[in-house]
Amino acid sequence: MSDQETKAVDRAEISKMLEKKAPEMKRILNYCVHCSICAESCFLYMSHDGDPQYMPSYKVINSLGKLYKKNGNVDHEFLEGIKGMVWNNCVLCHRCYCPIGIDIPRMIDFTRSICRSQGVFPKLDEGESWL
Amino acid sequence: MIIAERKPFEEIKEMVKGYKNILNVGCGGCTSICLAGGQKEVNQLNAELTKENPELNIDSLVIERQCNYDFFVDLDEKAPKYDAILSMACGAGVQFVSERYTSIPVFPALNTVFCGVDRNVGWFEENCRTCGECVLGDTAGICPVTRCAKGIFNGPCGGTRIDGSCEVDKDTPCAWTDIFNRLTEQGRVDKITEVKPPRLWQNQVRRTLIQEDYKARYAE
Repeated sequence: MSDQETKAVDRAEISKMLEKKAPEMKRILNYCVHCSICAESCFLYMSHDGDPQYMPSYKVINSLGKLYKKNGNVDHEFLEGIKGMVWNNCVLCHRCYCPIGIDIPRMIDFTRSICRSQGVFPKLDEGESWL
Repeated sequence: MIIAERKPFEEIKEMVKGYKNILNVGCGGCTSICLAGGQKEVNQLNAELTKENPELNIDSLVIERQCNYDFFVDLDEKAPKYDAILSMACGAGVQFVSERYTSIPVFPALNTVFCGVDRNVGWFEENCRTCGECVLGDTAGICPVTRCAKGIFNGPCGGTRIDGSCEVDKDTPCAWTDIFNRLTEQGRVDKITEVKPPRLWQNQVRRTLIQEDYKARYAE
């Protein structure tokens, strides 16, 4: 078992991080109208035959959105579960376009920071693939 | 991808000597992927530095990319609280961080080694010298600048061994033999029969690239 799997989740730390970015998160969760315009600006979405898992808004809502709704009250398994969504399914190219102006990559970036704070990140030295 | 490796510990220790409050900044881009400057490597270096000097206060922060200011939000907040910054990014990232916080000394914890590919976990190979005049179309996808020991543009030289290795090192394949063999396989040997003019050596000066479609935006 690797260090990442055995590390306990510090929920208070996650809550603190979420609290700090609360206004930005509220904006995306309240203002995203699910127009899916961001989808076609994502080359990963396009190259995966329109698989909704690659839709930028989907990635944020199902990772950071869930973290926020749970107020950081998540376990290690949850963080491992969203790891693929924020690392494998997004390269942070900053090309996704949101007509409302939501900074989607910033949200993905922030989700990665939360995962990192709990020791969850791609285990490249163990042969785990990034993309 | 840019490949880097950690500097010798003694060198890093000497650079940060005298600073008591340091922020070690990892990069989530290339140096994470090449296992030199990601979260794990940041933690490892901090543990080593703390073991060496228990009085030292060294914190860590990994930002997604040190070569793009869009990712500097968290660093902007933390950086002013420290006497010095250690950067585990490539040389471009280190300079970008330094340019952003001019009053804080920024030290490189890595040596940027080359632009290359992943052969396997932790095994990387240089494939491009970023010369700015790519000839791979005519050389069957084998770079003579990078792979020929002499960087010869119109090869081969007279030092190719009978077994197709390089005179400089018998374990190094002669790039021009490989180019010839692959072009033969593709029926395109004519591509290297014409002498190429001298190069402009564009990689000897600092380069900036603005893609054609964006030139108007930055015209001023």
